[in-house]
Formats: sequence, C-alpha cells, structure tokens
Amino acid sequence: MSDPNIEGFELEKGFKGMAKDTGSDQTMFKGVHWGKAMMWIFLLSDTFVFSCFLIAYMKGRSSTPAEWPNPSEVFALDAFGVPVPLLLIALMTFVLITSSGTMALAVKYGYEKNRKMCGYLILATALGGLTFVGMQAYEWSKLIHEGVRPWSNPFGAAQFGSFFFMITGFHGTHVSIGVIFLFIYCYKVFAGHYDKGKRGWFTKMKGDYVEVEILGLYWHFVDLVWVFIFAFFYLW
Amino acid sequence: MHVGIIFFLIILGSVLFHIFTPWYWTDIASNWQGMDDTITLTFWIGGGVFVAVCLFMIYCLFKFSYKEGRKVEYKPEDKKLEKILTWATTLGIAALLAPGLIIWNQYVNVPKNALEVDVMAWQWGWQYRLPGEDGKLGTTKVTNINDENPFGINVDDPFGRDDILVQSDYINLENNKPVKILLRSVDVLHNWYVPQFRSKMDAVPGIVTFYWFEPNKIGEYEVLCAEYCGVGHYAMRGGVEVQSTKDYNVWLSEQETFQDLIAKNETLEFEDNKLAKNNNINLKQDIYKEE
Amino acid sequence: MSDEHENKSGYQAQSSETIHAQSSEAITGSGSGIAPDMDYVRPAELPEQDLYHPHSFIEKWVFCQDAKVIGVQYFLTAVFTGIVGLILSWLMRLQLGFPGLAGFITAEHYYQFVTMHGMIMVVYFLTALFLGGFGNYLIPLMVGARDMVFPYVNMLSFWMFFVAVVVLMASFFVPGGPTGAGWTLYPPQTILEGTPGHGWGILLMLISLSLFVIGFTMGGLNYMITILQARTRGMTLMRMPLTVWGIFTATVLAMLAFPALLVSSIMMTLDKLLGTSFFMPTILKAGEVLEYGGGSPILFQHLFWFFGHPEVYIVALPAFGIVSDLISVHARKNIFGYRMMVWAIVGIGALSFFVWAHHMYVSGMNPWFGFFFASTTLIIAVPTAMKVYNWILTLWRGNIRINTVMLWCLGFIVTFVNGGITGIFLGNVSVDVPLSDTYFVVAHFHMVMGIAPLMVIMGAIYHWFPLVAGKMLNEKLGKWHFWITFLGAYSIYFPMHYLGFIGVPRRYYEMYDSPYMTSGVGLNEFISTAAFIVGAAQLFLVFNIIKTMKTGKKAEQNPWKANSLEWYTSTVPPEHGNFGDRLPVVHRWPYDYNVPGAEQDYLPQTAAPSEVAHTEVEKT
Repeated sequence: MSDPNIEGFELEKGFKGMAKDTGSDQTMFKGVHWGKAMMWIFLLSDTFVFSCFLIAYMKGRSSTPAEWPNPSEVFALDAFGVPVPLLLIALMTFVLITSSGTMALAVKYGYEKNRKMCGYLILATALGGLTFVGMQAYEWSKLIHEGVRPWSNPFGAAQFGSFFFMITGFHGTHVSIGVIFLFIYCYKVFAGHYDKGKRGWFTKMKGDYVEVEILGLYWHFVDLVWVFIFAFFYLW
Repeated sequence: MHVGIIFFLIILGSVLFHIFTPWYWTDIASNWQGMDDTITLTFWIGGGVFVAVCLFMIYCLFKFSYKEGRKVEYKPEDKKLEKILTWATTLGIAALLAPGLIIWNQYVNVPKNALEVDVMAWQWGWQYRLPGEDGKLGTTKVTNINDENPFGINVDDPFGRDDILVQSDYINLENNKPVKILLRSVDVLHNWYVPQFRSKMDAVPGIVTFYWFEPNKIGEYEVLCAEYCGVGHYAMRGGVEVQSTKDYNVWLSEQETFQDLIAKNETLEFEDNKLAKNNNINLKQDIYKEE
Repeated sequence: MSDEHENKSGYQAQSSETIHAQSSEAITGSGSGIAPDMDYVRPAELPEQDLYHPHSFIEKWVFCQDAKVIGVQYFLTAVFTGIVGLILSWLMRLQLGFPGLAGFITAEHYYQFVTMHGMIMVVYFLTALFLGGFGNYLIPLMVGARDMVFPYVNMLSFWMFFVAVVVLMASFFVPGGPTGAGWTLYPPQTILEGTPGHGWGILLMLISLSLFVIGFTMGGLNYMITILQARTRGMTLMRMPLTVWGIFTATVLAMLAFPALLVSSIMMTLDKLLGTSFFMPTILKAGEVLEYGGGSPILFQHLFWFFGHPEVYIVALPAFGIVSDLISVHARKNIFGYRMMVWAIVGIGALSFFVWAHHMYVSGMNPWFGFFFASTTLIIAVPTAMKVYNWILTLWRGNIRINTVMLWCLGFIVTFVNGGITGIFLGNVSVDVPLSDTYFVVAHFHMVMGIAPLMVIMGAIYHWFPLVAGKMLNEKLGKWHFWITFLGAYSIYFPMHYLGFIGVPRRYYEMYDSPYMTSGVGLNEFISTAAFIVGAAQLFLVFNIIKTMKTGKKAEQNPWKANSLEWYTSTVPPEHGNFGDRLPVVHRWPYDYNVPGAEQDYLPQTAAPSEVAHTEVEKT
C-alpha cells in the first residue's frame, strides 16, 4: 500500500505498519490539511462540552424530586386545530438535516472549482440554518408565552425549563455562529477569494476551497448534536 | 560533594522528624483502628520507597558527578530491569490497596444494631435527633422547618412523634455502641468530623448521607466542620460526650421528645394568642419604642 | 486534495538526491561499508509555512503572531498572576501563623485570599505558564517548525487569556470583593449569602474561567496540530523530546477536561443570575425557604473534578517532560527507558480521566464508587513510579553536572516523590477518610503540584534563559536561589502533613481555642516564617535576571551542549521563522549523549548517521 499523495511512501502491513505510520515523521495524518485537523480536534473538544451538558441533564432529570413534564404535550403544536406532538421539532430537524445535505454538495462543487454552484449551495445552507434558528425562536417564544421560564414552569420540575433553554440555547448559538460564517464564506466564494488564494482579512492566510470543507465539518457536527438533543429532550 | 551531603541531611531529617514528631494522631476513640494501621503500613512502604529513591539519587551524586572524560554508560533501555521495577511497584501498590478496600467495605456496611443519629447542619451550627422508643426516626422535610418544628419532622409520621430532639451543638453517645450518623443539611455542604473517631462524611442539602463508627473511649471530644461552608466555617464546632451506658441513659431520659415540643408549643401558642389579644396596643407601642 | 492547489515550488528545497550525494561522500571517508542510503529521509510532504512577518511595533510586540513572543507574553502574564498569588499566600500565612497580628485580615478576607490564591496558582499561573509559556516557545522549536500552525489564532489565544486575567483581577475591586468560596467553588455556598463575594466576585470568577477555557482551546488546537502535523523531516513521534510529549499529552487532557469546567461555570452562572436550580436543592436560609429546589450539589462536584483531576496532570505532565530533558542534558546521559517514559506520560494522561472521584470519597456520593476510584487511583501510581525510577536511573552511571539546573531537578525528584507517596495515602479510600479536608491534603497537593512543578519551572528558566535572552544567568545567585527556595519550601510542607494528622481541618481562619490544636501553634509560626523567606527568596531570580541582562556573560550557541533542535537555530535568540533558510532534518532521538565511539559527548538530532558512522548507536 502506498499513499498516493506522498511520493515514495510505502506502508507496512498489519498493526506494526499502523504504528509505524502513526509515528512516522512530519505528519501523523498524512495529507490532512492543518485546518481540517484542527476542526476535527475542536469538534472532539466540543463533543465533550455537549456531553457534559447532556449528562448533567440526565443527572438533573433523574435526581429532581418534582415530576418531569411530558414532552409530547409540552412541545405539541396546533395544526388546523388538532394538537400534533413534535410537529415543529420534526420540521426543524428536517430543515437542519437538509441543510447538511446542501453543505455536502457545496463542498463537492467547491473542490470541482464550480464557484457558482458552490456559492449557491452555501447560501442555501445558510438559509436553512437561518430557518432553523427562526423556528427555534418561535418555539422559545411559544414556551415563554405558556409560562415556561428557566427558573420555573407550570408543567412540573423547574429543571425542565433550565435545561431546555440552556442546551437548546447553546446549540442555537452554535447554529447562529455557523450561519454567520456561512454568509461570510458565501461572499468569499462568489468574490472568488478561494480561486485567487486571496489572503484572509484577519488571519492573513491564503484562501482555499478546503475552508469550505472545514466549515462543512462544523456544520455537520452541529446537525449531529441536534439529533442527540432531539432524542434526549423530545423523545425521552 | 556538599550537595549530596545536604540532600542526605534532608532525608535524614525527614525520617527523624517522623520518628520524634510531637505532632501526631490524637488518641483514637473509635473502632477505626484499621485506618490508623493502614496509614502506618503506607508509611512503612511509601516511606521506604521515598528514602530508597532519595538515597540512590544521593549515591549517584557522590559517585557520578562531572569529571571530564568520565566513561558514561550508553544503554537506552533495559527491558528486564524495567519489568522487575514495574512488577515490584505493582505488588507494593496492591499491598496498600487491599487493606484500604477491606476497611472501606466495613465503612460502607453499617452494622444492624447501630443507633441512628440524625445530625442536622446549617450555617453555622448543629443539632441532633435520636429515635424514640420505637427505634425509628420520623421522616423530615426541609420546608417543614420552622420555630415550632426545628427539625422539619413530618407531623403525620407516627415514627416521628417520639423522636428525641437535642437542640444543641453538643450530643452524648453511648460507649461501645455503634452509631450510624445520618447527615442532613438545610443550606450548604457541611461535614461532621471528630478527629478522634477518624471518620467523616459531607452533609449535602437535598440528600441524606451516612457513616458509622463505634465510640470506645469515654470522654469529651470536639466536633469540627470539615467542609468549607462560608465565613463561619472555622467557628462551626460542637461536641460529643461518650458516656457509659448508665450515664448515657440518665442523659437520654432528660431529653425532650417531639411530642413534648408540640405540647409545649401549643400551650405557648394559646398563651401567645391570649397575650396578643389583650396587649395589642402595648405591642404596637413596643414597636415604636424599638424604632 | 488541498495539496493540489499549493504552490509546488514552495516545498522544502532539499531533495533526496542532494542527501544521497552528501552521504556517499561521507561514507567514502569512514570506509565502514554501510549502505549508501543510510542518511535517507523522506522528502518534504509539507509546503513551506506561509509566515506573516510583522510590519510595526504593535504587530511585533503586542499583537504578535510569532509563537516565541506569544510564549514570552504568556510567561510574563502568568508570572504576574503568580506574584499576586504569592502575596495572597503571605497574607494567609500571616493570619495562620500570627493570628491577630494583621488586624485587617478578617475571616471574609482570609477566605477570599484562600480562594484567589488557589485558583490563580492552579489555572492562571501553572497551566498558563507550562502550556502557554513553555508550550508556545518550545513546541515549534523542538519539533522543527517555523511557527505554530495558526499564528493568528495563537495570538488571539493569548489575548483571550489576558482578558481573563484582567477580569479575574477586576474582581478584587468590585463591591463585595473577590469570591471566597474556596477554589473548588462548591455550590450551594458559592452563590449564597454567608460566603464573601457571592455577588460580583463569583460572577467575575466564572466569566474569567469561561474566557480562559475559550482562550486555551485556541492555543491548545495550535499546540496539538503543530506537534501532530507540522514536524520537520525525520522527526518521528518517537524522536520527539519528552518535553514535547509532556506538553502534548497535557494539551490533549486540557482539550477534553476544560469542557467540564466550562459547562459547570455556565450552569453556575445561570444559577446565580437567572435563579435556575442546576446545583441548588431546597435551601432554608435565615428561616426562609429560598427560591431554589431540586438541583444536585454533587453534580457540580463531579463536573468540577472531571476537570479538576486531569488539571493536576495538565500541570504535572509538562513538568515531567521538561525535567526529563533537563536531567538527560545535564547528566550527559541518554534518558533511561525513553519508550517507557512516553507510554507512562500517555498512560497517566488516559488514566487521569478515570480517577476524578477520589476527590469526593467523603462527599456523600454513592459509597460504592469508592472501590472503583481507589483502584484506578492507585493504578496510576505505577506509571508515575516508573518515571521516577527512570529519572534516577538516568543519573546512574552518568556524568552529572551539578549546576543550578541540575539542582532544581534534584529538588524536583525529592519533592515529587514525597508528594507522590502522600498521594497514595489520599488515594487509598479508607485512609483518605481521616485525612481528607485536613492540612495533610493541603501539604500533599502543594508538595506534588505546587513545589515540584515550580522546581521544574525554575530549572527550565535557568536552562533556557540563554536561548531566550542570549545571556547566561549567574550560577552563584542561582544556587543561593535554589537552596533557600528548596529548603524553605520543604520545611513549609513537610511538617504541614503532621498538622493534618492532628486533625486540623483546612480552610480554618483560626482555631487555637481547640485543646489539642494548640500544640500546632509553634509549628504554624515556623511554617509562616519559612513561607515569608521562600517568597522573598524569589527576588534572587529577579535580581539575577536584571544583573544578567546588564552585565551577564553572552551565551554561545548551545551552551549546555544539548541535542534537541531548539539549540540549533540560525541565530540566538531565534528570530521569526526559527531556522533560517532551511528547516533542520532530524536523524536521531534527542538523547544521544556519550555515545560510544563519538568524538564529543553529544550528537545533535541533526547529525546524519554517515557523519558519525563509527558510533554504536542503539536507539534512533
């Protein structure tokens, strides 16, 4: 086996080869862009943040003496006069997952140097994210309207509101930051910064389509986290 | 040369300090002799390793200090030596861990005949509750606590009626009788700690924690709070008096039960109401005076 | 894929052809008949790093993107916080040793000093100094990189840290003063009345911690990627100096442990500001039930110690790594059992995530956890002990220069072994019961993660000062500095264990009215006096640095005759870009001292095998 990216680099077979490859000189992950490696490790760290939140949530939910509100009632939405449980959440999840798909396509077109397609798809992703944040804002205002507060709520344990607002808020912040960057990248793609290798405003690093993939990693991660939050908050 | 000597003196001093120190354990007054023994064992093994490592280091300083052209060994690894050291260390660690775990097993398994003592902590003081004739403590709730029910006992709970209440930082215990300390706190973390009993556990608001010991030495001991609980932490002290069965029973019979307290409160309340009605005007005047 | 867009001409210039030519030449000279490609190193797979050179004073010294400058900035800021922490410890010792002498120290103040001293020393001083200071300066140099991989993010990291320090220091000046909740910040007392600084103080502390975590994450990503993806040619993982291994593993721990601190800070901030009840159960205060209920105080302790225990190793592992290098250089001998050392560092790092609840044996958590956490905690002692053995075995049959740097290393070994052994007391669950929350704990952790790493820091300062400043520190002053600091610190903390045996609980403002504690009065006075002297003795270093900068001897290149790459830069001190036109090519591990057959007693990492063909090298 040889790495197509690196000339004259032969891998040994088996565990020994793996160890030797891992410990070999210059790079551990052969041919992986620095920024991409950084994003992976950042996401690993962020996974721990969300895990801590969710574990705290599980512990908080199981140790509070008051009764936990029933999610399918609290999160129900009236559609044409009929309360449908989890309708809004299903829509939100659908939008977010779809935006992941458009992001993946944007990365593909980016590497194909298809500036226009790449730009439009990033724009679509950003709009998807914006819709998600908007629907979340709607959900929040609906719950607040019904009397749910971080410190209390009419349905049961006060921790319900605390954890809900904190964790969805933290996730929503991630989405919002992602949306901001999507718009910036959208501009940069259309302006051709990645084709010309124009230097960044602050970082002074040369632009490259790999940045689209890096942002894509972040975006997929945010979606993945949402799946877990969805499962823990709305289905449990 | 002098460097090695100074280091040697430090090690020697440490050992001598340990042997001749005037500052050491208070005399143990409970059944946890095993904890002391494990500490002694750890001192032997751990202290031995400390002295051995340091002496070896000092030996190297004497023997191999810099000399131009000294022949230095070039041996990056010695698998055999490393293996021996690993296993010897593992063995030593296991020898320390085993007694530790055995004693912990005793610590978390409370004997059946242990007397339950409810220790209630707040910023910054203690009070105690003992089961009455039924041998059971009544259930409690923080929100029940008020001037008339200082322990927050559920009034409906029949087990709570005969509970003996000790509204003081000081409590008496019977010698040679295991005690299960049930800790509860109404505000922040506390820890009911008597150095002579060796045992301790945090009192955590919201839950009841426990530990047990068996006092085996008659005498008076100081209770310290061993978990930081705010500005008054250092002043949050109480006392325990371990007594013989006879003295203990005399003391016990003098204590008030929850039933007594309720009765007393009802009388007081009745009188209060009467007073309040009659002296309404007087009271108001008092308030003005205070202002 | 990305490589396609990179400018091919930017690849490192050395092709394997030129190396072939060099090596065959050398071999003809030695005539030992070794295969002609013995010097072969794979061609560069990374493009030359695109560096942004500063254009103005501000870009050069303030918002600088050079890791070396950022390292010094981190170092100085951390030292500043350390001085604040030192002064606080003096005030504490003043109260403990001579109660009533300084009338202005009330109980409130005392607890504020305790809290700020603890938090500053652990997080803002030691963590920032080792990872931000030494990490930034040494990583690129030691792995043969031109700079950190993301210089801009690295610069942001420092400024975020700087803001965190400013916020922390601001809490001294807000109404109510800084928080006095103890550095562990255990709720519920942290945010309730009855604890000093329960208003502004705790809020600023939590904000500052969050900023620190964010800032550190930016730095940590840099350290990790630089080590993983930006090493020079020939620098395999198993050829990295142990300093880099230590800093790398500590960074991994930090990246995974700080999230727990961030989360607990956020949750506690919400408890304080919005009145949520994450950590707050039903509480009765002054006869009134507060608006809290249903939360779990122990949850906070789990989160805190899930951060807190790895944090101990975040401080300890870089110290382990650095001291290994210092000992090896100054004992003129290869580090003994390098592979064991690496695996011990990695193993300790991994295990440190499974031991956190040994801080909570008497916290009221489920007592059955005690068995598990006692076992894991004592298992961690095995790799730690192996490291100690390897350090002293490195000294054995070496050629030990007994200079200031070596003295600090020896001081480290003594204090670390001492503190490690007392750790076995505290990790062993039932032994911990009588000792926890007493002065034994205070003495233990100061010895093992206060004094021991401090010894390494000092040793590292004396070792690398010639590199950073280009001048040699004065040996005589250095030795005075060492002996006073070491003897003083040892006589502070060694006897302090025995206060714990008597049963003196920690965090007591004063307690001389207790009958059996009065015996500790004299001891406390002694400890306090020693603490004042040790603190003041640090002026030796300040004076030494000032004197050296003015009149000191100019350092030659590589004054210690060390092997690792930081001594083989194009200039001393190294400039932006570190290595001039060509990055070094590494042919061996950094511990080839006194190799049989070699002319000198050291072989730089860059020495090609053909240049020293007649040596008997065992490990490369």
